[in-house]
Amino acid sequence: MIKLQNVSFHYKNTDAFGKLQKTRGIDDLTLTVEKGAFVVLAGDSGCGKTTVTRLINGLVPHYYDGELSGTVSVCGLDVRSSGIGDLAPHVGSVFQNPRSQFFNVDTTSELAFASENLCTPPDEIRKNIRRVAQEMHMDELMDRSIFALSGGEKQKVACASVAVSEPEIMVLDEPSSNLDAAGIEELARVLALWKAKGKTVVVAEHRLYYLTGLADRLLLLRDGKLVEEIPGEQLRSMDNAQAEARGLRSFTPIAMPEPEAPSAEKDALVCEGLDFHYKHSDKGIHIPYLHIPRGKITAIVGKNGAGKSTFARVLCGLEKKAKGTVRFGGREWKSKQRPDLCYMIMQDVNHQLFTDSVLEEVMLSVPETVPEGEREALARQVLDQLDLLPLADIHPMALSGGQKQRVAIAGGVVTGNPVLLFDEPTSGLDYKHMRQVAALLRKLRDDGKTVLVITHDTELVREIADCVVVFSKETT
Amino acid sequence: MQFFQYGNEGYKSVLDPRTKLLLLIVINVVIIGTGFTGTDFLLRIVCAAIPLILFLIIRRTRTALLYGLVCLAMFFGEAVLIPHTRGVLNLLIVITLGPFSRILVGYAFAYYMMCSTTVSEFVTAMKRMHVPDQISIPLSVMFRFFPTLAEESRAIRDAMRLRGIRLRGKNGGVMKQIEYEVVPLMMSTLRIGDELSAASLTKGLNAGKPRTHICHVKMELWDWALVLLSLGFLFYMLVLR
Repeated sequence: MIKLQNVSFHYKNTDAFGKLQKTRGIDDLTLTVEKGAFVVLAGDSGCGKTTVTRLINGLVPHYYDGELSGTVSVCGLDVRSSGIGDLAPHVGSVFQNPRSQFFNVDTTSELAFASENLCTPPDEIRKNIRRVAQEMHMDELMDRSIFALSGGEKQKVACASVAVSEPEIMVLDEPSSNLDAAGIEELARVLALWKAKGKTVVVAEHRLYYLTGLADRLLLLRDGKLVEEIPGEQLRSMDNAQAEARGLRSFTPIAMPEPEAPSAEKDALVCEGLDFHYKHSDKGIHIPYLHIPRGKITAIVGKNGAGKSTFARVLCGLEKKAKGTVRFGGREWKSKQRPDLCYMIMQDVNHQLFTDSVLEEVMLSVPETVPEGEREALARQVLDQLDLLPLADIHPMALSGGQKQRVAIAGGVVTGNPVLLFDEPTSGLDYKHMRQVAALLRKLRDDGKTVLVITHDTELVREIADCVVVFSKETT
Repeated sequence: MQFFQYGNEGYKSVLDPRTKLLLLIVINVVIIGTGFTGTDFLLRIVCAAIPLILFLIIRRTRTALLYGLVCLAMFFGEAVLIPHTRGVLNLLIVITLGPFSRILVGYAFAYYMMCSTTVSEFVTAMKRMHVPDQISIPLSVMFRFFPTLAEESRAIRDAMRLRGIRLRGKNGGVMKQIEYEVVPLMMSTLRIGDELSAASLTKGLNAGKPRTHICHVKMELWDWALVLLSLGFLFYMLVLR
């Protein structure tokens, strides 16, 4: 079904300094995927697994520019000579980012989109949509605005929209990155359905626990090469220590640690009677009492819609109309003052990088109380702490995702705010980078910061959390 | 923002997008070009009633109510207040009511159009009117991007507010504010646009064949009735009057 023969691919792009460079995608890779097989591609970020998915749907070499050698054949088509459009009837693709994979604004149109492009008669498309909606139990998601869906629902619609035109091959590139545990469960059900229907499924993924039960094979890539092939049977008998030894995320699900009863300290961060509800929506929070220890890492966990993000916004003073009191360090912080108490590092750090150099970005956050002459020295000192000094003059948007995140963190550290709040800092990160973020969070804690982490990543929670707070619809 | 998607989820539009376009033009011509006497007045009332009825049909009762009340106030003002007042007060009423009452109905109808038509219906209708792909596909992508832009700029403004105090100080100023908002917005929309094109291509957007459409775009009895009515109005406005 899919055959890669001695394939190498190098992307052409520019580095942070503006020089033209070639980045290795994959290097002399040979692999075959038989019809009906369920194959998982694993490995570090940049190991080449995304490139393999792009070779299958034709985005490499037809959309992403670069040098290709070797032969790739998919369903008997030579990928090099046939266009993306020729492969479209055979290959369905699901991507990582739910914000950028829908062409339409309503779900039904999106489900029909691929089939419409392939000139399927309208009646047949309608019939297929009904069938897929039934198979995936998503009748309640039809005719909805895509912008009103949760991340998990969006990813379900993304899966359904490729399923309607019934391609033989499904490729998924890190489909679980933005999902919570319940969303991942839904995704796993869809994948099981496809496997049962005899589709060929190729998934590139960091989170592996939800795939171990389904996989026929796990292919471990490193530096663009295939280093290990683990058959499904063997995979299911392996434990998490063996995953760690390979630099992979856990093979089996990790349970969320039990929340501990908070000890009564005097100078903790205490929220009392926090109450906020959005207009025209039933979303909101109601927190009678919450105690977060000072100088520790506290993980805030809970399902989507439990109010974690709303709590973060209230704590940072973004929702001025919120009621209730926040006390920290022996004084009360009003909504207006809270931007000086708590700094949030957003999930998509691209939203909070404004200037044209890393140094300027950090300078922007230096408090006004710091005298003019010392501002730059302070900014440089913080950059040094976060190993960013060599990048001081570079445009933030030219950096890698991890570096951008560190710049955003530097912007928070330099404010001198005692509380730092992270919204999903490890979504879409591999094991190595997750560990790096964990180390960074611990360092911030050891420097005396009170660190709050909103996350679905149980592995991260296990790794770093001193305390765990569970949000649920009932308690908030 | 809920434009170009069904505001009331699950509800289907009753009018063809082409009828809506024609009505939009005719309503504006009538409202801007007529007075308050005889046939003119009758036409005005009919045109003003069209959005009201349509809002009720798509079950936007609150919008309909608000629109109806404002409309009544306008008509009352223009027909009763203006002839019976004098001097500065009269001038004030004329200046405030005049332009507003002339765009109100057209604006209400445009609003109805946007919340009762999906992008795919609109594109299909354009196709039926033989608008070339080079125009209809970029237009549909543009519509698709409005809500995305709104979402992104909301997130960016939040991020700015997190640093708000700092922005108002030394680094402040309107130009800086704009730069801080526009640069990340451009970056993230560029990235989303790039990923969106990739995703659309894998779904065969440029497969080169004419697309089929599942959405229901057909001129029904109601459409023809409204088209006839519109043509009648146009005939009156351009010839009889």
